[in-house]
Amino acid sequence: MRGNKMKALYLAGMALALVAPSVAFAHGPTRQKTTKSIEINAPAAKVWRVIGNFQDMNWCEDVAKTTGTGGNEPNTATRVLTLKGGATVKEDLTRYEPKEMLYGYFTDKIDVKVLPVNDYSGVIQVQAEPGDKSKVVWEAAFYRGYMNNDPPPELSDAASLKAVNTLLQTRLDALKKKIEAMH
Amino acid sequence: MSVAALRGRVIRAVGAGLWLAAASLAVTPAAADEAFITDQSASAVSVLDLATKKLVATIPVPGKPAGIAMAPDGRRAYVTSPEGQDVSVIDTAARRVLRTIKVGQDPLGIAIDPTGKFIYVADFDIPHLYKVDVHEGRVVGDAQIGASPRGVALTPDGKLIVAADRNDDQISILDAASFKRIAIVKVGSHPFGVTIDAQGKRAYTADVKSNTVSVVDLATHKLVGTVKTGLRPYVVALGKTSGYVTDEYAGTVTVFDLASLKTVKKINVGDYPEGIEFSPDGKMLYVVNWFSNDVWAIDPTTLKVTAKMQVGDGPRAFGTFIRKVP
Repeated sequence: MRGNKMKALYLAGMALALVAPSVAFAHGPTRQKTTKSIEINAPAAKVWRVIGNFQDMNWCEDVAKTTGTGGNEPNTATRVLTLKGGATVKEDLTRYEPKEMLYGYFTDKIDVKVLPVNDYSGVIQVQAEPGDKSKVVWEAAFYRGYMNNDPPPELSDAASLKAVNTLLQTRLDALKKKIEAMH
Repeated sequence: MSVAALRGRVIRAVGAGLWLAAASLAVTPAAADEAFITDQSASAVSVLDLATKKLVATIPVPGKPAGIAMAPDGRRAYVTSPEGQDVSVIDTAARRVLRTIKVGQDPLGIAIDPTGKFIYVADFDIPHLYKVDVHEGRVVGDAQIGASPRGVALTPDGKLIVAADRNDDQISILDAASFKRIAIVKVGSHPFGVTIDAQGKRAYTADVKSNTVSVVDLATHKLVGTVKTGLRPYVVALGKTSGYVTDEYAGTVTVFDLASLKTVKKINVGDYPEGIEFSPDGKMLYVVNWFSNDVWAIDPTTLKVTAKMQVGDGPRAFGTFIRKVP
């Protein structure tokens, strides 16, 4: 009964699709990306000393604890961030290029209540700037929090992008403050 | 002057010499190759002149274009738009979209047969492969394949079609004439791109979850080897003796030996490399970096990066994107 009903609905949908080809019935989300950066009034090497250890995310204000294994070995190292609210996020190291002052990571699974995204990955890099200044560039790639059609507003493309932008910017702002206060 | 710029000068000088030689023989000189790059975030296709290494055109293509198949004669390019649920037919010389063809729900992977008459489009939402007659501009066949298929490729003789059934960790092999599936071969976890060698003997899948390339014999329908890659391999390109795979999360291209299937080297490229393809003469390899919005040229003999070309936002070029200009 239910099957027949579904089939009838499906056929009706097909018929509608034929007469109204502009109606979008289904399409998966497109991957999104964003880049945030901040200029810091400190040499690049000094900034890298603070953020360059994959096993230590304590420079992030929202992170209470970092535990992990594998050091800074890409494709081996993993870490678990315990956020101040109690949630945990497990991340794997994808790239570690100390000469470039760069590392990359990805998160296989993340609770959309923590961050409304899927397949979230990122790369963070410290770049030297003239006058003993530096720039921290943070890239993130992700899909929205809802992988099917018609996402609820809080898991839409726009909401996911906004949440990631806010997270990166908040962390970078705090990093700047922390480093510029160091002597 | 940078090495890349210097190299460009030498190439142009040699090119001029060839042109003169060709002119004296009263043969029309070959124009430079071009690359048609699908800029997904920008909803456009960037056209690169691969001799001058310059962006020469930007063609608006709505619907977040991702996949591409270049016609064998280089006159048309077929571009899939998952959000537009269609294939855009591009007149490559005129740099414009001639028309769009509605195909499936989430068209992504696409390949063209050697006659240029049919394109095959995989739907990543539902397990279907569509056959499209490009002259009639409509879907003429629909075959059931595995779950959430991504890449599609044909043997050079056009007899076999291979689709990477991502969520079933397998490839489907179809007979092109009957458009029926004749075999299923299990490969690594979540195969994405699929590439077939020039002899039509082997198919290579880039398995995004197991960080491997799987090698399948197309005659025996058997998995004959596995290559360890960098993180999140996406697409394989094949040279005469080596294979090259883009490692999305590692930001590298893993080079492996086609005979031993051992890794030879890793080349650092841009961020989140995806599409990769050789020039028609096999002398240059092009890598499309999704995050860094550029295309890098790599000399396959020295494995050195010789040029970086800026394109639009979110380039993917998933498929065959190099145009040999007639």
